[in-house]
Amino acid sequence: MTRLTSIVTALALAFSVSVPLSAHDDYRVIGIVTKVQATKLDVKARDGKNYSIKLNKETFINRDKKKVGASELKAGQSVVVDATGDSQDDLLALEVRMVPAIAPSAAK
Amino acid sequence: MNPDLSTPQPPSKRKLAATTAIALAVAAVLLVTIVLPAEYGVDPLHTGAALGLTTLSAPAAAKAVGVPAGATLYKPVQDGPIGYYGGAYKVDSTVLKLGPYEYLEYKYRLEKGASMMFSWTATAAVTHDFHGDPGSGKGAEQSYDKKDRQASTGTLVAPFAGMHGWFWENPSSETITITLNSSGFYSSAMESRSDRTRRAHELTSLKRSPETGKNESK
Repeated sequence: MTRLTSIVTALALAFSVSVPLSAHDDYRVIGIVTKVQATKLDVKARDGKNYSIKLNKETFINRDKKKVGASELKAGQSVVVDATGDSQDDLLALEVRMVPAIAPSAAK
Repeated sequence: MNPDLSTPQPPSKRKLAATTAIALAVAAVLLVTIVLPAEYGVDPLHTGAALGLTTLSAPAAAKAVGVPAGATLYKPVQDGPIGYYGGAYKVDSTVLKLGPYEYLEYKYRLEKGASMMFSWTATAAVTHDFHGDPGSGKGAEQSYDKKDRQASTGTLVAPFAGMHGWFWENPSSETITITLNSSGFYSSAMESRSDRTRRAHELTSLKRSPETGKNESK
Protein backbone atom coordinates (compact mmCIF):
# COMPACT_ATOMS: atom_id res chain seq x y z
CA MET A 1 0.00 0.00 0.00
CA THR A 2 2.85 2.34 0.88
CA ARG A 3 4.53 1.53 -2.44
CA LEU A 4 1.30 2.23 -4.32
CA THR A 5 0.91 5.56 -2.54
CA SER A 6 4.49 6.47 -3.43
CA ILE A 7 3.94 5.64 -7.09
CA VAL A 8 0.73 7.63 -7.28
CA THR A 9 2.38 10.60 -5.55
CA ALA A 10 5.38 10.43 -7.89
CA LEU A 11 3.11 10.30 -10.95
CA ALA A 12 1.07 13.20 -9.67
CA LEU A 13 4.21 15.27 -9.09
CA ALA A 14 5.59 14.36 -12.52
CA PHE A 15 2.30 15.35 -14.15
CA SER A 16 2.07 18.64 -12.29
CA VAL A 17 5.58 19.55 -13.46
CA SER A 18 5.16 18.36 -17.04
CA VAL A 19 1.92 20.24 -17.73
CA PRO A 20 3.37 23.75 -17.36
CA LEU A 21 6.49 22.75 -19.26
CA SER A 22 4.50 21.50 -22.21
CA ALA A 23 2.39 24.68 -22.47
CA HIS A 24 3.80 27.00 -25.10
CA ASP A 25 3.19 30.70 -25.29
CA ASP A 26 2.16 32.66 -28.35
CA TYR A 27 4.39 35.38 -29.72
CA ARG A 28 3.95 37.95 -32.47
CA VAL A 29 7.09 39.36 -34.04
CA ILE A 30 6.67 42.38 -36.32
CA GLY A 31 9.77 43.50 -38.17
CA ILE A 32 12.14 43.11 -41.07
CA VAL A 33 13.82 39.93 -42.27
CA THR A 34 17.57 40.10 -41.83
CA LYS A 35 18.50 36.55 -42.85
CA VAL A 36 16.73 33.56 -44.35
CA GLN A 37 17.82 29.94 -44.07
CA ALA A 38 15.98 26.73 -44.98
CA THR A 39 14.79 26.15 -41.42
CA LYS A 40 15.38 29.50 -39.79
CA LEU A 41 14.31 33.10 -40.20
CA ASP A 42 16.09 36.01 -38.54
CA VAL A 43 13.95 39.07 -37.92
CA LYS A 44 14.81 42.45 -36.47
CA ALA A 45 11.67 43.55 -34.66
CA ARG A 46 10.40 47.11 -34.50
CA ASP A 47 11.42 47.28 -30.86
CA GLY A 48 15.03 46.61 -31.88
CA LYS A 49 15.21 43.01 -30.66
CA ASN A 50 16.61 40.30 -32.93
CA TYR A 51 14.71 37.05 -33.19
CA SER A 52 15.82 33.76 -34.69
CA ILE A 53 12.68 31.81 -35.50
CA LYS A 54 12.49 28.22 -36.69
CA LEU A 55 10.55 27.31 -39.82
CA ASN A 56 9.11 23.90 -40.61
CA LYS A 57 6.85 22.33 -43.22
CA GLU A 58 3.73 23.42 -41.40
CA THR A 59 4.74 27.08 -41.30
CA PHE A 60 2.18 29.00 -43.37
CA ILE A 61 4.08 31.57 -45.38
CA ASN A 62 1.73 33.92 -47.19
CA ARG A 63 1.18 37.23 -48.90
CA ASP A 64 -2.36 38.65 -48.88
CA LYS A 65 -3.47 35.35 -47.28
CA LYS A 66 -2.22 33.38 -50.30
CA LYS A 67 0.41 30.75 -49.65
CA VAL A 68 3.84 31.40 -51.12
CA GLY A 69 7.10 29.45 -51.02
CA ALA A 70 9.82 30.09 -48.47
CA SER A 71 12.01 31.23 -51.33
CA GLU A 72 9.89 34.40 -51.52
CA LEU A 73 11.28 35.49 -48.19
CA LYS A 74 14.16 37.90 -48.68
CA ALA A 75 16.22 40.09 -46.40
CA GLY A 76 14.59 43.49 -46.07
CA GLN A 77 11.05 42.12 -46.37
CA SER A 78 8.61 43.33 -43.72
CA VAL A 79 6.92 40.41 -42.00
CA VAL A 80 4.47 39.59 -39.24
CA VAL A 81 5.39 36.30 -37.62
CA ASP A 82 3.05 34.42 -35.31
CA ALA A 83 5.12 31.90 -33.41
CA THR A 84 4.93 29.58 -30.46
CA GLY A 85 7.55 28.61 -27.92
CA ASP A 86 8.72 28.54 -24.36
CA SER A 87 10.66 31.78 -24.71
CA GLN A 88 11.59 34.36 -27.33
CA ASP A 89 14.84 32.46 -27.87
CA ASP A 90 13.03 29.25 -28.78
CA LEU A 91 10.33 30.06 -31.28
CA LEU A 92 8.70 28.08 -34.06
CA ALA A 93 6.90 30.08 -36.72
CA LEU A 94 3.28 29.06 -37.27
CA GLU A 95 2.62 31.79 -39.82
CA VAL A 96 4.78 34.28 -41.65
CA ARG A 97 2.86 37.10 -43.29
CA MET A 98 4.68 39.17 -45.90
CA VAL A 99 3.36 42.70 -45.56
CA PRO A 100 4.02 46.13 -47.11
CA ALA A 101 6.80 48.17 -45.59
CA ILE A 102 5.99 49.21 -42.06
CA ALA A 103 6.30 52.83 -40.98
CA PRO A 104 9.45 53.20 -38.89
CA SER A 105 7.94 55.16 -36.01
CA ALA A 106 5.92 52.99 -33.65
CA ALA A 107 3.40 55.05 -31.77
CA LYS A 108 1.93 53.48 -28.67
CA MET B 1 -76.09 105.56 9.62
CA ASN B 2 -72.58 106.69 10.06
CA PRO B 3 -70.57 105.88 6.95
CA ASP B 4 -67.30 106.35 8.85
CA LEU B 5 -68.06 103.35 11.13
CA SER B 6 -68.68 100.83 8.26
CA THR B 7 -65.59 101.72 6.20
CA PRO B 8 -62.39 100.15 7.56
CA GLN B 9 -59.45 102.43 7.78
CA PRO B 10 -56.60 101.41 5.42
CA PRO B 11 -53.32 100.72 7.20
CA SER B 12 -50.71 103.33 7.00
CA LYS B 13 -47.87 102.97 4.52
CA ARG B 14 -45.44 102.49 7.39
CA LYS B 15 -47.51 99.68 8.85
CA LEU B 16 -47.82 98.00 5.43
CA ALA B 17 -44.08 98.18 4.92
CA ALA B 18 -43.40 96.75 8.37
CA THR B 19 -45.88 93.89 7.89
CA THR B 20 -44.43 93.07 4.47
CA ALA B 21 -40.91 93.09 5.88
CA ILE B 22 -41.92 90.74 8.70
CA ALA B 23 -43.65 88.37 6.25
CA LEU B 24 -40.60 88.33 3.99
CA ALA B 25 -38.32 87.67 6.95
CA VAL B 26 -40.47 84.76 8.15
CA ALA B 27 -40.62 83.37 4.62
CA ALA B 28 -36.84 83.63 4.31
CA VAL B 29 -36.32 81.84 7.63
CA LEU B 30 -38.72 79.06 6.59
CA LEU B 31 -37.02 78.82 3.20
CA VAL B 32 -33.55 78.46 4.69
CA THR B 33 -34.41 76.29 7.66
CA ILE B 34 -37.09 73.99 6.21
CA VAL B 35 -37.75 74.25 2.46
CA LEU B 36 -34.17 74.18 1.19
CA PRO B 37 -33.07 71.24 3.40
CA ALA B 38 -36.22 69.25 2.67
CA GLU B 39 -36.51 69.91 -1.05
CA TYR B 40 -32.95 70.39 -2.22
CA GLY B 41 -30.68 69.06 0.53
CA VAL B 42 -29.23 72.53 1.04
CA ASP B 43 -28.79 72.95 4.78
CA PRO B 44 -26.60 75.96 5.63
CA LEU B 45 -27.86 76.28 9.21
CA HIS B 46 -28.01 72.48 9.85
CA THR B 47 -31.63 72.85 10.85
CA GLY B 48 -32.62 70.27 8.23
CA ALA B 49 -30.31 67.68 9.75
CA ALA B 50 -31.56 68.53 13.25
CA LEU B 51 -35.18 68.16 12.18
CA GLY B 52 -34.54 65.12 9.99
CA LEU B 53 -35.60 66.95 6.85
CA THR B 54 -32.53 66.24 4.71
CA THR B 55 -33.60 62.62 4.25
CA LEU B 56 -36.60 63.90 2.31
CA SER B 57 -34.32 65.34 -0.35
CA ALA B 58 -32.20 62.19 -0.71
CA PRO B 59 -32.56 60.42 -4.07
CA ALA B 60 -35.18 57.73 -4.23
CA ALA B 61 -32.61 54.97 -4.75
CA ALA B 62 -30.85 55.96 -1.56
CA LYS B 63 -34.07 55.28 0.32
CA ALA B 64 -34.12 51.71 -0.88
CA VAL B 65 -34.22 49.23 1.92
CA GLY B 66 -31.00 47.66 0.68
CA VAL B 67 -29.55 45.05 -1.58
CA PRO B 68 -31.46 41.77 -1.70
CA ALA B 69 -29.88 38.80 -0.02
CA GLY B 70 -27.44 36.97 -2.23
CA ALA B 71 -26.13 39.99 -4.07
CA THR B 72 -22.38 40.25 -3.90
CA LEU B 73 -20.29 43.25 -4.88
CA TYR B 74 -20.56 42.58 -8.61
CA LYS B 75 -22.95 39.65 -8.91
CA PRO B 76 -26.50 40.86 -9.33
CA VAL B 77 -29.65 39.53 -7.79
CA GLN B 78 -32.46 39.76 -10.27
CA ASP B 79 -35.82 41.06 -9.11
CA GLY B 80 -38.03 41.20 -12.18
CA PRO B 81 -36.36 43.45 -14.71
CA ILE B 82 -34.04 44.96 -12.09
CA GLY B 83 -30.61 43.62 -11.18
CA TYR B 84 -29.40 44.71 -7.75
CA TYR B 85 -25.71 44.93 -6.92
CA GLY B 86 -23.83 45.40 -3.69
CA GLY B 87 -20.81 46.99 -5.37
CA ALA B 88 -20.07 50.35 -6.84
CA TYR B 89 -20.98 51.29 -10.37
CA LYS B 90 -17.86 51.81 -12.49
CA VAL B 91 -17.00 53.87 -15.52
CA ASP B 92 -13.98 53.62 -17.78
CA SER B 93 -12.62 55.71 -20.60
CA THR B 94 -9.42 54.87 -22.41
CA VAL B 95 -7.54 55.60 -25.61
CA LEU B 96 -5.49 52.77 -27.09
CA LYS B 97 -2.87 53.00 -29.83
CA LEU B 98 -2.36 50.03 -32.10
CA GLY B 99 0.86 50.07 -34.10
CA PRO B 100 1.06 48.36 -37.51
CA TYR B 101 -0.14 44.74 -37.32
CA GLU B 102 -0.26 44.83 -33.52
CA TYR B 103 -3.15 43.42 -31.56
CA LEU B 104 -4.43 43.84 -28.07
CA GLU B 105 -7.12 42.52 -25.79
CA TYR B 106 -9.02 44.77 -23.42
CA LYS B 107 -11.28 42.95 -21.00
CA TYR B 108 -13.36 43.53 -17.91
CA ARG B 109 -14.04 41.07 -15.11
CA LEU B 110 -17.78 40.52 -14.89
CA GLU B 111 -19.76 38.08 -12.82
CA LYS B 112 -22.50 36.02 -14.42
CA GLY B 113 -25.49 38.22 -15.15
CA ALA B 114 -23.61 41.46 -14.56
CA SER B 115 -24.14 44.15 -17.16
CA MET B 116 -22.16 46.85 -18.85
CA MET B 117 -22.64 49.42 -21.59
CA PHE B 118 -19.94 50.25 -24.10
CA SER B 119 -19.05 52.40 -27.06
CA TRP B 120 -15.82 52.33 -29.02
CA THR B 121 -14.56 53.88 -32.21
CA ALA B 122 -11.37 53.38 -34.21
CA THR B 123 -9.65 55.68 -36.66
CA ALA B 124 -9.74 52.84 -39.24
CA ALA B 125 -11.34 49.42 -39.51
CA VAL B 126 -9.84 46.80 -37.19
CA THR B 127 -10.08 43.04 -36.99
CA HIS B 128 -12.35 42.59 -34.03
CA ASP B 129 -13.66 39.87 -31.74
CA PHE B 130 -15.90 40.75 -28.81
CA HIS B 131 -15.71 37.69 -26.58
CA GLY B 132 -15.71 36.23 -23.12
CA ASP B 133 -13.19 34.01 -21.38
CA PRO B 134 -14.22 32.00 -18.31
CA GLY B 135 -10.54 31.35 -17.56
CA SER B 136 -10.74 27.60 -17.82
CA GLY B 137 -8.07 27.26 -20.49
CA LYS B 138 -7.65 27.60 -24.22
CA GLY B 139 -10.73 26.90 -26.27
CA ALA B 140 -13.13 27.97 -23.54
CA GLU B 141 -13.55 31.47 -24.97
CA GLN B 142 -16.96 32.38 -26.37
CA SER B 143 -17.21 34.84 -29.24
CA TYR B 144 -20.12 37.30 -29.19
CA ASP B 145 -19.31 39.34 -32.30
CA LYS B 146 -16.45 38.60 -34.65
CA LYS B 147 -16.04 40.78 -37.71
CA ASP B 148 -14.05 43.73 -38.96
CA ARG B 149 -15.47 46.93 -37.53
CA GLN B 150 -14.59 50.55 -37.01
CA ALA B 151 -17.04 51.24 -34.21
CA SER B 152 -19.55 49.53 -31.98
CA THR B 153 -22.02 50.54 -29.30
CA GLY B 154 -24.08 48.28 -27.11
CA THR B 155 -24.71 46.49 -23.87
CA LEU B 156 -23.56 43.14 -22.54
CA VAL B 157 -25.03 40.90 -19.89
CA ALA B 158 -22.25 38.45 -19.05
CA PRO B 159 -23.36 34.87 -19.85
CA PHE B 160 -20.78 33.51 -17.40
CA ALA B 161 -18.28 34.79 -14.86
CA GLY B 162 -14.93 35.72 -16.34
CA MET B 163 -13.13 38.26 -18.49
CA HIS B 164 -15.24 39.90 -21.18
CA GLY B 165 -14.02 42.33 -23.81
CA TRP B 166 -12.41 42.91 -27.15
CA PHE B 167 -9.65 41.60 -29.31
CA TRP B 168 -8.58 44.32 -31.71
CA GLU B 169 -5.99 43.83 -34.41
CA ASN B 170 -4.55 46.45 -36.69
CA PRO B 171 -4.53 44.89 -40.18
CA SER B 172 -2.64 47.80 -41.73
CA SER B 173 0.79 49.37 -41.75
CA GLU B 174 -0.49 52.59 -40.19
CA THR B 175 -1.11 53.24 -36.51
CA ILE B 176 -4.76 53.09 -35.43
CA THR B 177 -6.25 54.76 -32.36
CA ILE B 178 -9.18 53.19 -30.52
CA THR B 179 -11.30 55.18 -28.07
CA LEU B 180 -13.34 53.11 -25.63
CA ASN B 181 -15.96 54.29 -23.16
CA SER B 182 -17.87 51.93 -20.93
CA SER B 183 -19.78 51.72 -17.68
CA GLY B 184 -21.17 48.92 -15.62
CA PHE B 185 -20.67 46.55 -12.74
CA TYR B 186 -17.20 45.23 -13.49
CA SER B 187 -14.45 44.83 -10.94
CA SER B 188 -11.28 45.21 -12.99
CA ALA B 189 -9.90 45.87 -16.48
CA MET B 190 -6.86 44.29 -18.09
CA GLU B 191 -5.02 45.21 -21.28
CA SER B 192 -2.86 42.52 -22.94
CA ARG B 193 -0.81 43.32 -26.03
CA SER B 194 0.84 41.37 -28.82
CA ASP B 195 4.24 42.33 -27.41
CA ARG B 196 3.22 40.29 -24.34
CA THR B 197 2.87 43.30 -22.05
CA ARG B 198 -0.06 43.35 -19.64
CA ARG B 199 -1.44 46.32 -17.80
CA ALA B 200 -4.29 46.68 -15.35
CA HIS B 201 -6.37 49.80 -15.88
CA GLU B 202 -7.65 51.89 -13.02
CA LEU B 203 -11.41 52.25 -13.08
CA THR B 204 -13.49 55.12 -11.80
CA SER B 205 -15.91 54.02 -9.13
CA LEU B 206 -19.15 55.87 -8.59
CA LYS B 207 -20.16 55.27 -5.02
CA ARG B 208 -23.12 56.72 -3.19
CA SER B 209 -22.16 58.62 -0.07
CA PRO B 210 -24.15 57.43 2.96
CA GLU B 211 -23.96 60.95 4.37
CA THR B 212 -25.03 63.05 1.41
CA GLY B 213 -26.87 60.43 -0.62
CA LYS B 214 -24.99 61.71 -3.65
CA ASN B 215 -22.56 59.91 -5.93
CA GLU B 216 -18.89 60.40 -5.28
CA SER B 217 -16.23 59.29 -7.74
CA LYS B 218 -12.80 58.01 -6.88
